[in-house]
Amino acid sequence: MTSLDATSTAARRPFTGRRVRLGDLLLQGVAGIAALGALVLVVLIAWKIIQGARLSISTFGISFVWHVAWDPVHGDFGAGSFLFGTIVTSFGALLIATPIAIGIALFLSELAPRGIRGPVTALVETLAAIPSVVIGLWGLLVLAPLLRDHVDPALHSAVGFVPLFGEASYGSNVFTAIVVLTIMILPIIASISRELFLSVPGELKEGALGLGTTRWEMVRGVVFPYARGGVAAAMILGLGRALGEAIAVAMVIGSFTGISRNLFAPGNTLAAWIAQNYAGLSTPLATSSLMYMALILLVFSIIVNLFAQFIVRRAARRQGLSR
Amino acid sequence: MPRNGKLVRISLVLSAVGALTALAVVTAGAASAKSTANDVNGAGSTFVQPLVTKWQGPVQQQLGINLNYNGVGSTGGVAAITNKQVDFGASDAPLSQFNPTCSSCVQIPWALAATGVVYNLPSFANLKMSGSVLAQIYMGKITKWNAKAIKKLNKGKNLPDKSITVVHRSDGSGTTFNFTDYLSSVSHSWKSQVGTGTSVDWPAGEGEPKSAGVAGAVRTTPGAIGYVDVYYAVHNHLGMFKMKNRSGRFVRPLAKGIIAAAQLDTHPAKDGSLSIVNPPKSRKYWNAYPICTYTYVDVQKSSGAKAGDLKKLISWAITKGQKFGPALIFEPIPKPVVTFDKKQIKKIHS
Repeated sequence: MTSLDATSTAARRPFTGRRVRLGDLLLQGVAGIAALGALVLVVLIAWKIIQGARLSISTFGISFVWHVAWDPVHGDFGAGSFLFGTIVTSFGALLIATPIAIGIALFLSELAPRGIRGPVTALVETLAAIPSVVIGLWGLLVLAPLLRDHVDPALHSAVGFVPLFGEASYGSNVFTAIVVLTIMILPIIASISRELFLSVPGELKEGALGLGTTRWEMVRGVVFPYARGGVAAAMILGLGRALGEAIAVAMVIGSFTGISRNLFAPGNTLAAWIAQNYAGLSTPLATSSLMYMALILLVFSIIVNLFAQFIVRRAARRQGLSR
Repeated sequence: MPRNGKLVRISLVLSAVGALTALAVVTAGAASAKSTANDVNGAGSTFVQPLVTKWQGPVQQQLGINLNYNGVGSTGGVAAITNKQVDFGASDAPLSQFNPTCSSCVQIPWALAATGVVYNLPSFANLKMSGSVLAQIYMGKITKWNAKAIKKLNKGKNLPDKSITVVHRSDGSGTTFNFTDYLSSVSHSWKSQVGTGTSVDWPAGEGEPKSAGVAGAVRTTPGAIGYVDVYYAVHNHLGMFKMKNRSGRFVRPLAKGIIAAAQLDTHPAKDGSLSIVNPPKSRKYWNAYPICTYTYVDVQKSSGAKAGDLKKLISWAITKGQKFGPALIFEPIPKPVVTFDKKQIKKIHS
């Protein structure tokens, strides 16, 4: 810093110095309050839920988590069947969505002619923008009858010896929920994967092709290893969405408390059951148990989110090293 | 970077426009809400919703009251009036069924109707059903339409080899209370294993929200069985079972069956509750339909500024309002009940 600078700053101070400081202070204040507000909100929500769940926690303890029951008449509650349904539907959706999403991403990043990449990408992203209640409505009115009348019986007669594909008479069932969730998480995984595939350095791909690999060998040898961590993170983001989805699932899953091996039987999830009963339950213990389920869902989602962040960080660090 | 800046600016402008529009709408809404001081807001039973909706026009014309009703289910309605979120709650289950219940409320039976057991089997009209077979279906013990027990009730009908899809309510419901109350009265195993309540641990089937949800699911699912207020059954063109009563007769849930069943209890208990499920075998109840219920309006005794309008509204509902019932298959409440109700209404004050 030269002396000239110092004097000019000093000379300007009487005119602008205070205003600048006030502005800075204001900015810091507003931004700080906003950040603090977010933090306070999270803590308040968590605290309120724990407080609401206290009665149920003290009555049932930790075994509530896996106990299968929802019996307001005899005062017996447990989250077991809902947790089971949540895991089955969200992992089922992930299992179907991942290969399709990776296929879409590969098509859009490597295979499709330039002219159609733009429009198809936009379409896939539009799918992500459809409100879940609209997908739920479509699922209830169009998809559920279609699956019930054609797909479910066909699967039952083809692979019915697997207990998962049992008798199919209910339109609203676990399988319908899985398909609806698949549609909802597909665009998330596909669009993130596409970006990741596009971020693979061109010289690596060209190098591989130059060595005489086929396109598939190039994808398998160069694109997949490069994007692996990111795709895993995209999958977990999709899983997070599936776990917490309430309304679309509530509309198609058929609300049955219990554990069934048959995918074509009605079931339930934590989020869907909360959405169906928020209006009121007939005993304090039931209401408290609903809060306990909200707590389980909250903890579950936080773990999944943290895990996704961990994977993204690790992938980023690896890529940083390899570059 | 400049492109990015532009995008940010555009989205800022867009959200500002959005916020302003929202503000304008809210202000306009608040203004219009202010202009109508005679709003009476209620929430609850979807069972009674068709009748309450029917009342809205005449109530506006004759009493100058804007009657708003939100069908959130009986449990939701009792919760709403207990927390004073509405001016009245409506429930088909008596207040004693809820915990916490509204202990500062007065309970007034204001309508009478039946729960129809509906099914979707288009080429089979007027099928017969008994309580014990129905209980077995809802327990998941009878799963096919051509089961022996159902065939025995419907001799000469060639019932198909089709799975029965059992549909019940997923939310807390007074219709569920009425239905499970009936099943408990006809089946020991139902009573001991499942019991009576606004929501129960269903041994089988799929749950759907509200009466309209159950009716919709039965309508779109071949082979389905459900239970809803009779109006929903008629409105959705669903088949309804003739139910076997204790006199051994098969009765439709229509005017005659409801009026006969109502004779079982016309003198409300101290808290205003009545029970007319499954009348005993007797000449008097020869034509009684076994799954009938009174349905209640629940009001805070001290209702503040709304007390006057509430008293007017409920007095109208239990007298003039009753004549709108039969078109929707709600039958007029018997005279002794009206007399009792008038005493209950006097307990409401500001």
